[in-house]
Amino acid sequence: MRFPNFSNRLGRRALAAAALAGSFLLSGCFWLDGPQSTFDPRGPVAREQLSLFYTTCWVSLVIFVVVGSVLAVAIIRFRARSDADLHAEPPEQHHGNPIIEVSLIAASVLSLVIIAIPTLREIWLTYDIPEAERANSYEVTATGYRWWFKFDYPNEKALVPDATGKLVSAALTTGSELVIPAGRPVHINLRTVDVIHSFWIPKLAGKVDMVPNRGNLLWIEADKPGYFWGQCAEFCGESHALMRFRVIALGPREFNDWLNAQIAPARKLPVDTASEGSRPKAQFAAYRTFKRNEPGYTGKFDVSPLDAWRAQQLPATDEDPALIEKGRQLFKTKTCIQCHTVRGDDASGVTGPELTHVASRTTIAGGLLENNRDELHRWIHAPGEVKPGNTMWVTGYLQNNIKLTSEDEDALMAYLESLK
Amino acid sequence: MSSDAAAGTIDHHFDPTTTTGIPNKKVLMWAFLASDCMFFGCLISTHLIYRLHPPPGTLPAKEVFSIELTSFSTFILLMSSLMMALAVNAIQKGNLKSMRWSLLTTIFFGCIFLGCQVYEFRNFVYEKHLTITNSILGSTFFTLTGTHGLHVLVGVIWLSGMLAYSFTGRLTEKQAIDVESMGLYWHFVDIVWIVIFTAVYLLEYI
Amino acid sequence: MEAIAKTDFLAKGAQPAKPFVLWRPTAKTGLVSWLTTVDHKRIGFLYGISGIFFLVVGGIEALLIRVQLAVPNNSFITSAQYSEMFTMHGTTMIFLVVMPIGAAFFNFVMPLQIGARDVAFPRLNAFSYWTFLVGAIIVNLGWFMKDGAPDAGWFGYAPLTTRNFAPTHAIDMWVMGLQLLGVASIAAALNFIVTIINLRAPGMTMMRLPVFTWMTLFTSFLIILSFPAITIALIELMMDRLFGTNFFEVSSGGLPILWQHLFWIFGHPEVYILILPAMGIISEILPTFSRKPLFGYPIVVFSGASIGLLGFGVWSHHMFTSGLGTVATAAFSLMTMAIAVPTGVKIFNWIGTLWGGHLSMRTPMMFALGFLWMFMLGGLSGIMHAAAPADTQQHGSYFVVAHFHYVLIGGSLFALLAGIHYWFPLMFGRKVSEFWGKLSFWLVFIGFNTTFFPMHFLGLEGMPRRTYTYDGNMGWNLGNMISTVGAFILAIGIGIYLGTMVYTYYKGERTVKDPWDGRTLEWSLPNPPPEYNYRVIPTIHARDGWWYEKRHKDEIAKEEAEHAKVEDAHGGIHMPFQSIYPFLAGVGILIGSIGTAVIDPASHAQYPGFWGPKIAVTMAGGAIMIVSVFLWALEGSDGYHIHLNDDGSVKGEEAHGGYASKH
Repeated sequence: MRFPNFSNRLGRRALAAAALAGSFLLSGCFWLDGPQSTFDPRGPVAREQLSLFYTTCWVSLVIFVVVGSVLAVAIIRFRARSDADLHAEPPEQHHGNPIIEVSLIAASVLSLVIIAIPTLREIWLTYDIPEAERANSYEVTATGYRWWFKFDYPNEKALVPDATGKLVSAALTTGSELVIPAGRPVHINLRTVDVIHSFWIPKLAGKVDMVPNRGNLLWIEADKPGYFWGQCAEFCGESHALMRFRVIALGPREFNDWLNAQIAPARKLPVDTASEGSRPKAQFAAYRTFKRNEPGYTGKFDVSPLDAWRAQQLPATDEDPALIEKGRQLFKTKTCIQCHTVRGDDASGVTGPELTHVASRTTIAGGLLENNRDELHRWIHAPGEVKPGNTMWVTGYLQNNIKLTSEDEDALMAYLESLK
Repeated sequence: MSSDAAAGTIDHHFDPTTTTGIPNKKVLMWAFLASDCMFFGCLISTHLIYRLHPPPGTLPAKEVFSIELTSFSTFILLMSSLMMALAVNAIQKGNLKSMRWSLLTTIFFGCIFLGCQVYEFRNFVYEKHLTITNSILGSTFFTLTGTHGLHVLVGVIWLSGMLAYSFTGRLTEKQAIDVESMGLYWHFVDIVWIVIFTAVYLLEYI
Repeated sequence: MEAIAKTDFLAKGAQPAKPFVLWRPTAKTGLVSWLTTVDHKRIGFLYGISGIFFLVVGGIEALLIRVQLAVPNNSFITSAQYSEMFTMHGTTMIFLVVMPIGAAFFNFVMPLQIGARDVAFPRLNAFSYWTFLVGAIIVNLGWFMKDGAPDAGWFGYAPLTTRNFAPTHAIDMWVMGLQLLGVASIAAALNFIVTIINLRAPGMTMMRLPVFTWMTLFTSFLIILSFPAITIALIELMMDRLFGTNFFEVSSGGLPILWQHLFWIFGHPEVYILILPAMGIISEILPTFSRKPLFGYPIVVFSGASIGLLGFGVWSHHMFTSGLGTVATAAFSLMTMAIAVPTGVKIFNWIGTLWGGHLSMRTPMMFALGFLWMFMLGGLSGIMHAAAPADTQQHGSYFVVAHFHYVLIGGSLFALLAGIHYWFPLMFGRKVSEFWGKLSFWLVFIGFNTTFFPMHFLGLEGMPRRTYTYDGNMGWNLGNMISTVGAFILAIGIGIYLGTMVYTYYKGERTVKDPWDGRTLEWSLPNPPPEYNYRVIPTIHARDGWWYEKRHKDEIAKEEAEHAKVEDAHGGIHMPFQSIYPFLAGVGILIGSIGTAVIDPASHAQYPGFWGPKIAVTMAGGAIMIVSVFLWALEGSDGYHIHLNDDGSVKGEEAHGGYASKH
């Protein structure tokens, strides 16, 4: 079968161009301000990095257009017009041209210098908080675990009741959602307890890795209050794809309010033994059953995430103190306290995320699932189905042989939901 | 131009069958040694990185290493290189008997070196309590010197094989290139040891 | 291959009397002839079909990845399976496809281009291939075992690969397999270096070498100098896993960053190992199909050398997010930009070659032009990576995936596919159909761009790599779907390409000698070339030696006649004997590796003391290998002489001892 003789060379070239342009253009139809898009910087570090990227883009575009045009012209102008041409005498056998060579090398070096200068400047700028702003900076430590992030606030002191009930100082630790003051540089110390992770909040800054036995640092700043998505960006095992987190930047007053709420020990609701009987109301569990890999988010949240986060700080309206109390006891008897800390509830495990105010977070399971009733049930019912290989399932449920009835789950959920 | 020659008329530095005049086996050995250089370079770098960033609780190296014993074994290895050079020289002159004696002493010195290494390793493990698994210093030290020791062992086996072969009557002046290549390898192993000795044992003194 | 099969003339009795183990195999056809071959053309063929087989394997792994990622929250394969897929896809494509197909060309073409009859050490050459095959087997054994295939990424960062986090044998097989692939590569590279330096035909000065041979030389130097770094890294990891040493043991103060440094000191030169042969092939095809010499030959050669050299100084650009510090980051950033200069120079020179030529748009030329466009794009996205602060947004995301696929597929693979088309008539005497060739080109080109161009955007929109799933509200859905569709188009294109090759091998139209009006020496040979390559070793008078010969036919004919007489007087054409020992050494290595990597250490209850199945199998394999090497040394580099009739057929033969002969 002979290749169709495209005497219409133009037609064939148009076909090629169209095919190429098609695929290129299609890719442009992307949502360029998705939750993790680097094209939508919300802080100075990300902005500087993006502007450097645009510089490289422009230089590359110019090079591509210039060189590409010469290549295109060469292909069009010098192709053999017919079979006869191919057997004709070969063209003049030029071997090279030193002047062209040298000038092209010079031009290449020049275009690289154009990129190199801002690069050097940005390397220093983005590495650590500029001197002038250090006084105003805020300090946080982020630690990578398989597969969640822990956040410590070294300059804050949380409160925990001691044996006598007196409140004493303790470290302020949260997980999965990093709340920072907006408009101030934040200095993040990066640590890990197991393998290499990478801390990436695309809208605020490029990533820096968390490497064992290495003290890395990252600095970020959110221009204005906002809600940002982040994700681990270094392969760390089976649930690497599900190791996510959020960053919430708040104005000074809101941030203070949040801090005060976090510093307090776990919320306790008085159980009214007089009225309503002390029997806890059972919740009729009509929870959704999820298929493995089903998404853990609802579109509603994305409409206005920061508002949704603010709403999350408020307690639910249908709290049942007796059920919550039952859940608190189950939290102990089902060995959850071995891995989780809830300040004030005799729970001081450190293997898993700190849960003192877990209900004030918009996500659970390491930034993976939206923190609503169905998802919370999904998580505590069968964690192994949600996050393959996760420690809560393997070391917790399986090794400790945790078995939960639906009443247990109801009570635990009520308890966890009360931890605002 | 054919290489049927009485002793001494072969030019051992020029091989007319190759483009450059250097025998193929020699070029091969040099290229291989360049590669082995990088190999040891990476091992030594690993050791140095950990030496210069020791984790807390590491045994101080000065307390472990015995410069006296290692200086002795270094000297022995250097002498073995001298013997090796003599062996190559001998076979290039067609003097099989002299070559055999030189090879034998090379092997002998090589074995003394290996014996010193074995003694040193046992001393570190049993008396100084430095093992390959109980610390980073142990891991990097034993891996580095152990790999070098393996190279020496391979060399000793090769030398012994060549020595045995020399009794079959098939090793003549024409095959000097084989002995010369082996010599290059042996000298390389020696030079690497000088570097290791300096970087590992003498590190605190330089 | 027919010419090789016809030289079936050597009788065993012609060899001098010696012990059985030192008899040299003489079969010229059949399985034994392949197991004992030392002919560089056959070994090249073996590398080639192995590479193509693994291209299909790696491609299937890629398709499984793309199906899983086609839609958000997909459950086509599990996370654990996905980890195996992306690990093995990377390892396979780099070590089992691009490198062996490159090696196939180095083996087949390079000795022909320098006017040699074989490489300097034919048995070592065979050993390289068998060791490669053993490495390929070991790395893929996990698919058939409970432990599963390696699953920690193709660069296996510690401590994810330590016993703590990877307790099964999957990573042991990865380490051992990679180690063997390294040994095979180093052995082959050493051989090529000696060959190019020492076995050139008279008059073939270094500055008359075809560019492909230059790139072979540079690639070989890169191999022998960079592979030791990964050898050490793998040894250290293996010792941690097998013996409990502390190289990467975090609790004892081990530094995982050391693994990264060692790996990338190898890893970066490795990518130049993958691209330089491709650049060499393009540097042969463009001049041939433009009917003009390569523009700026000396500077193209010098650029190749610069790229090789500078390639050792940029490794930490793979580690810009590891917290290197400002000074180191700046240094590596600038060096990475610097290396763009020689790369760009080559592109300019290729365009200069086209300019003013008569361009023949045959299939090899189409692939070569495709290479130019795609490699330009890949190189430019590489420059974007060089700006370290911008790179911190790109690293670990799909932007990097886009970049390296542009240079590896758009670059290396396109060039290899071009080379297969280009040299097919020489190797097999048949011409590939232009229609099917061009069809496969367009499908591959369109499929490739459709798959990988969207990934630039996916990465910049925050999609990390090596993730088995993603949520649907991140804005990545359309990009991933397009990418998956493209992957299937690419797969169809590759399928048609391979199908065409297989068809042509058996039923393709026979072709005349030198169908492309080539410029380099290999085209002066009959197709396929006879086992002995050149009747008479040519004398070279200029760069593009064959082009010169065609235009000075009388002068060359006279020269040849004289040299033929001289060669005959010296005893004829020297051919090396075949040998079983490279293959047997490989068998020993296979057994030993299975012992090291696959067998569990003995439990003390069952096997108190030192001995157990693991040690026994490892030592048995090692013993077979050592004995094979020993006998390999003892059998000597013997050969036999052949004399040719005027028409190129073989007259008679006589065996002789290797050392006494001149040739």
